Amino acid sequence: MRDDPIAHVLDDLMRLDDIFACVVARRNMISVMPSSEGFKPEVNQIWDVIKRAMDDVFTVIGEYSSAGLSEMEFRLQDYEVLFYVFPDTENALVAIVPALANKGLLEVEIENARREILKIMNNPTQEPNSQKKDDEVYVTA
Amino acid sequence: MKSKIETAIGMSRKWDAREAGREVAETAIKNLSRPPDFFLLFSTIHYEKYGGFQEFLNGVWDVLPKETPLVGGTVTGFMNNYGCFSRGASGLAVSYPYLDVAIGIGRNTKRNPKKAAKQCAEMIQKGLKNSQYKNKFLLNFISGPVMPNIPGVGQKKYVQSGFVSKFSLLTFSLSQALMQKGLGREDEIFEEAVQQFPDYHMILGTSMDDYKGIRNYQFYNKNILTNAVVNLGIATDLSLNVCTTHGMKETNLHFTITKLGARNHAIREINNKPAVPELLKLLHWPEGFLNEETMLQTILYYPISLKRRGRQVPVVMPMIMKNYIFVPCIIDDGEVSILTVSGKDLINAVKENLRFFNEIQPEFGLFSTCMTILQTLGHRTNMLHEELCRYFDDKAFLLFYSAGEGTYSPTKNITYANMSFNSVVFGHDQKLSVR
Repeated sequence: MRDDPIAHVLDDLMRLDDIFACVVARRNMISVMPSSEGFKPEVNQIWDVIKRAMDDVFTVIGEYSSAGLSEMEFRLQDYEVLFYVFPDTENALVAIVPALANKGLLEVEIENARREILKIMNNPTQEPNSQKKDDEVYVTA
Repeated sequence: MKSKIETAIGMSRKWDAREAGREVAETAIKNLSRPPDFFLLFSTIHYEKYGGFQEFLNGVWDVLPKETPLVGGTVTGFMNNYGCFSRGASGLAVSYPYLDVAIGIGRNTKRNPKKAAKQCAEMIQKGLKNSQYKNKFLLNFISGPVMPNIPGVGQKKYVQSGFVSKFSLLTFSLSQALMQKGLGREDEIFEEAVQQFPDYHMILGTSMDDYKGIRNYQFYNKNILTNAVVNLGIATDLSLNVCTTHGMKETNLHFTITKLGARNHAIREINNKPAVPELLKLLHWPEGFLNEETMLQTILYYPISLKRRGRQVPVVMPMIMKNYIFVPCIIDDGEVSILTVSGKDLINAVKENLRFFNEIQPEFGLFSTCMTILQTLGHRTNMLHEELCRYFDDKAFLLFYSAGEGTYSPTKNITYANMSFNSVVFGHDQKLSVR
């Protein structure tokens, strides 16, 4: 199976303790899943209902993404589901986190992941940063 | 012809501690044509689980030239020319022929902050005593607060039980002295540093973890420490200045602190009544509104403007114990204002801060900022990044997020604040003098 650079970006997010699940998705379709072990067990029981709620949210994203809708979120039981929309598309990076998580810190990394995925989408032959050699990654200051 | 200053930002987003250490050092020094005169190093707490911090530092020293003065520690996040991150490591390397450097360390900061500050100061004084340069700077980087593990309760920001609260208040000092758990006491260390170095410009920051306040580590050359203060002292012919801004605004809500406790770290009574119920009444919040869950989303955004030796000290209220409000620094009683701050105010505070340096052509900058700003702005932190990139252009800057920060200058005296933005910019003053 071909190495998916976007999956590697999701793998990095999954290593954060408070990211229970993350995918690139659109309505009724999960485009990219993390390539490693899958979601954390905390979400297994609730995944079905979250997935149904996600699909309903994607209806709104589909309508308003071209108008500049960039983020959405909802809380369901003890979880929050965060949508980071790829501009002018119906796709989003979706992350499931615990409701009492330090969300601000997670948002920083989810945003970094969104930007990295966008770079990959716009330059399909480019490797993700985690796989690049050092001198290709960092611009000198 | 005078040599140009060389600065470089190093960074790593690798997970493995040793690899990350190598990468953060490599990416900095490969952009220098001379060995660095110092290396400031900050990382998030994640390496604790991916090899440990000794391995992380070992990786740095696999690459960094021997004898390079190195200080730093764990922080909640950082920002540099490449972006904003709450995971990873970043460093600032500087090489400049007209710059003298000394580093210092003091131990047991929570047990005896004054002694720790003096230990550190002696090393800086010794290291810089023969320096010919008149522009002097000190980075004070101090182990931040660690939530005590309260028996039967654990590590909580909100304690409901009256008995546990009273017990905790009484044992507050004991916890700090014996177990070195509790507030960082960085304000006391900072005040001592100012006594020792009245002619220096200074920045204060604290070492933290991922906002949980469970543990933090400091770096001093090849050593990993806890409960330490590490200082970087610089004397140079570069112009430099410091600035603190915060963007907090006064509301029309005021009260009077009428009783303090826990060595003036806790507000016990407001307007001669138990502090917490009276505060809730002032804010028009219902009784029972505050709990472990709501604390983060509410009270942190209602900072209060306290007083300390005649200075205004805006702080967040990090911990509530039944009727007592803990504050992060020593305070005086008297009149207090409740402040408010929005995301827009925080961004404007950054703009105002950078405007202060309009007359310095920057070579590099270092910033100490409250981690609550990172928590508040989340992904919008990139708006701050844009402002910093606009100001610095291709010059190096490094910002770290901490819990308890401030600045000092001989002309403006001490500013200690939470939710604040504190900067030092080194460069060439267009008026050719340090303010």
